[in-house]
Amino acid sequence: MANDYQGGGREQEMSLEVKGCRELQSEVLARDLCSLCGACVGMCPYLVAYRGRVVALDECNLPQGRCYVFCPRTSLDLDLLSHTVFGVAYAADELGTVQEIAMARARDEGIRSKAQFGGTVTALASFALDQGLIDSAVLTASDENTLPSGTLADNTAQIRACAGSNFVAAPTLAAFNRESGRDVQRIGVVATPCQTLALANMRASPLENRNNVDKLKLVIGLFCTWALRYEDFARFLADKLPLRQIVRFDIPPPPANIFQVFTDSTRIDIPLDQVRPFIRPACDVCIDMTAEFADISVGAAEGVQGWNTLIIRSNAGRELVEAARAKGVIETAPLPEQNLAHLKEASLLKKRRGLKKVIEITGSDQDLLYLKLTSEAVKGFLS
Amino acid sequence: MTSITAYEPGASQLLMGNEAIARGALEAGLGFACAYPGTPSSEIIGSLAEVAREMDIYVEWSVNEKVALEAAAAASFAGVRAIVAMKQNGLNVASDFLMTLNLTGTNAGLVLVLCDDPAALSSTNEQDSRLIAKWADLPLLEPATFQEAKDMTKWAFELSEEIKNVCLIRSVTRVSHARGDVRLGEPMPPSRAARFAPTTLGQFTPMFVPPKHSLLHQKLNKAREIFESSPFNWYTGPEKPELLIVTCGSGWYYSLEAVKTLGLESSVGILKLGTTWPLPEKLVQQHLARTDKVLVVEEVDPFLEGNLKELVGDTFSALGPLTFYGKRSGHLPSFGELDPDRVVGAVSSVLGRERVAVDPDYAKKAQALTGGLVQARMIGFCPGCPHRATLWSVKNALKLDGRGGFVTGDIGCYTMGLGPTGFFQLKTVQAMGSGTGLACGFGKLGKLGFSQPVLAVCGDSTFFHAAIPALINGVYNQSNFTLIILDNSATAMTGFQPHPGTGASALGEPAPKVDLEGLCGSLGVRVEVADPFDLQDTTHKLLDLIQDDGGVRVLISRRKCALVRAREEKAAYKVRVDSEKCLGESCGCARLCTRVFQCPGLVWDSDSQTARIDEVICSGCGVCADICPASAIIREVA
Repeated sequence: MANDYQGGGREQEMSLEVKGCRELQSEVLARDLCSLCGACVGMCPYLVAYRGRVVALDECNLPQGRCYVFCPRTSLDLDLLSHTVFGVAYAADELGTVQEIAMARARDEGIRSKAQFGGTVTALASFALDQGLIDSAVLTASDENTLPSGTLADNTAQIRACAGSNFVAAPTLAAFNRESGRDVQRIGVVATPCQTLALANMRASPLENRNNVDKLKLVIGLFCTWALRYEDFARFLADKLPLRQIVRFDIPPPPANIFQVFTDSTRIDIPLDQVRPFIRPACDVCIDMTAEFADISVGAAEGVQGWNTLIIRSNAGRELVEAARAKGVIETAPLPEQNLAHLKEASLLKKRRGLKKVIEITGSDQDLLYLKLTSEAVKGFLS
Repeated sequence: MTSITAYEPGASQLLMGNEAIARGALEAGLGFACAYPGTPSSEIIGSLAEVAREMDIYVEWSVNEKVALEAAAAASFAGVRAIVAMKQNGLNVASDFLMTLNLTGTNAGLVLVLCDDPAALSSTNEQDSRLIAKWADLPLLEPATFQEAKDMTKWAFELSEEIKNVCLIRSVTRVSHARGDVRLGEPMPPSRAARFAPTTLGQFTPMFVPPKHSLLHQKLNKAREIFESSPFNWYTGPEKPELLIVTCGSGWYYSLEAVKTLGLESSVGILKLGTTWPLPEKLVQQHLARTDKVLVVEEVDPFLEGNLKELVGDTFSALGPLTFYGKRSGHLPSFGELDPDRVVGAVSSVLGRERVAVDPDYAKKAQALTGGLVQARMIGFCPGCPHRATLWSVKNALKLDGRGGFVTGDIGCYTMGLGPTGFFQLKTVQAMGSGTGLACGFGKLGKLGFSQPVLAVCGDSTFFHAAIPALINGVYNQSNFTLIILDNSATAMTGFQPHPGTGASALGEPAPKVDLEGLCGSLGVRVEVADPFDLQDTTHKLLDLIQDDGGVRVLISRRKCALVRAREEKAAYKVRVDSEKCLGESCGCARLCTRVFQCPGLVWDSDSQTARIDEVICSGCGVCADICPASAIIREVA
């Protein structure tokens, strides 16, 4: 039976805890720890994503479920995930497993002009599709009311249409769950850190049914410090302008401290402090800013207009970047020392804040809620 | 069901209690009958409707009990004998009119039949409606047998005309719905000289109230005198019984059986009263004087018991010490339904004899006898019921909305929405239309911190009966809720009687059809119509209405009752489970169709470990095909 825990036979001692939908609700949803990655959605008739929330429509009485195992806020064994994805122990440092860090940008100015920073994600995802490395990409797209959701792209035009971020949490992996059972063979996913954790959980899952995660050939991770709750935030925005007019969001680098909303004709600047109350509580307990379990991770290059920071983590990631560079799809440049130092500092700060929040919730540094970390790792992050 | 006029006068026929009541009315020369359907009263007007054309009398399904009583009173005022029947809850609706009608009095015989539902087998309460007799100072008859049900009804018209007031008859489920032999009389044609002609100023008004109130008491006293020699009261047993059972209605058969079971015919007497208000005091006193122990056996409240004690209190010096047993002493329950076993227990306990109880294994043995022939199934919606589909969408819409929205309900088949087959959606159930009234109140609590969406549900018949004033109240007072009218085009729970929205009269003739959309629309509210079998569209519309905060909104969820559909048309789909596609336990759906959706047409086959369709009862609605995540339920156009 698909949902039976195949406990025996695994060589590693490490394993993910296997529980069911009831525990997912009590441990994650009821505690407001859901990051809305979408990993629990699209596999059963019970859990659905609706306007920024995961909703259990009925009570599922199965004692074990993929929903619980895939969730990045249950029993997160970082060492197991690191072994599963990279074949090495969890680094427990600022940036996780790193082969190379550089600045990068798309060579195509058309891509760059529509993208958040240097267009590297759009360029690499399109390239991976062109090269047949993947045959489809799971991306995030927003509807006319800025409600984001996962979508499957199988051509570069579709990929380009998904460029940009609206900083609102999206259940993107619901699309992976939905599509991986269909007639696609090589899937790439552009994922936030919590989504990369969920995809790593799928790979490490002891359940027999792992959602055809073997079809997952490429994970492009996105740097992320927080994401917003859709419903409240959309209501907040709708008081300022019709949601349908919005074409793009941006957060310019510090010290601007503003959230920008673009329409075709105007720009509205909202103080970031007015936006922060809409951050999902689940982001407060997150310790992954740079998508540490992706093949490559991409984010802003602070202070360098039009460029991304690019972290190559896996061999697959390295091969993709090298091929894209060789074909002139992207160009790279060394990341300035100061930028790297800043990146590490910011990432460590996120880990520290997340851990402190976790300890504040549980009241003990022996109980890390959903995290499985050695005490040395905890000490390292907190010191 | 054979028509109640199909039998020859003088013949002895097996009749349902309610048919006997209807036949009694025909034998009294009934001209006018009306009611709002309500279990266990519905067959009285139902069987009269069937013979209305043949007898050339007027029969209607009224919009509610108050209007029914008012219409029947008009017939009485105009010199035509009339009958009204209602269940106990219906009396509450009619009582506003009744509590003044008693003062104004009547002209031609007017009989009000109250059918109580002890144990609330098909009700939301088990109120004892006999108390209205005392409250309204009206005479009350309680038939104990099917013969009495007919004879008393016939005589009730005469009594009503004698005292010029309403005569009450109280039946219970086991009299109304059981069958027994009835010796029949001759049906009589009604008076065809209907004319409203008051003989005194203010005859049909309560003016002036105190003298009319006094007159009402005089009428009641007259009834008491008549009751002293009524053939509906009798005694069986020894001259000086060790224990006197005083009983009425269905309690009489139970008492008879108990005494026989215990072999106490020589020591226990039974005074059976058919005229329970006002009490025939002299008759009762005669019997009380011959014993010192009295057990009162009656359904629901200690009504007779209390009245007997009142009487003893008035005449204590004459009667001497008496010990009463019954509901007040705890020998019989004042809730739920009586049965012979309970009476055996009470008599045994009073006389200190060993109780002869029903075989403790009776239930087990009965179960063994029926074997696998009867599927164990809890009370719930029928296969293909549109309410299940509507409530599925309601459940999903409220879950998705996520603001703690809830459903206020009322009375109808959809009351079962409070249970598993309605996904526990109804959170309140009281009176007809009260879900909408409650919604009015909930929807005005915003000032007091309330922020949950409110959904009221009511059936189409209930809407006409009692929800319209609540809806208008909500509109006028700018409340905030969504009313879902579950329009299944029938008064389904009571037996598919037509109502103002069906386009048919009680006689099955064409009638003007009241337009729900037009009626609601005229109030200026947003009105949507959905087909509950389209789960996606219904959920979508519901979400849109729920989130369209402010004001009153109406969704008409329209699908004909599955049982009516089965009578009128052939099934829309042939439904089957593709056993290749149904993954059973390995699907991960945790048996959504049989465990959560719970249509009785879907069963879990423990042999194949898959779901399957019970073809015998599947109504072919095809809704389950839309909930199966594996698309294993196949619906093909039949």
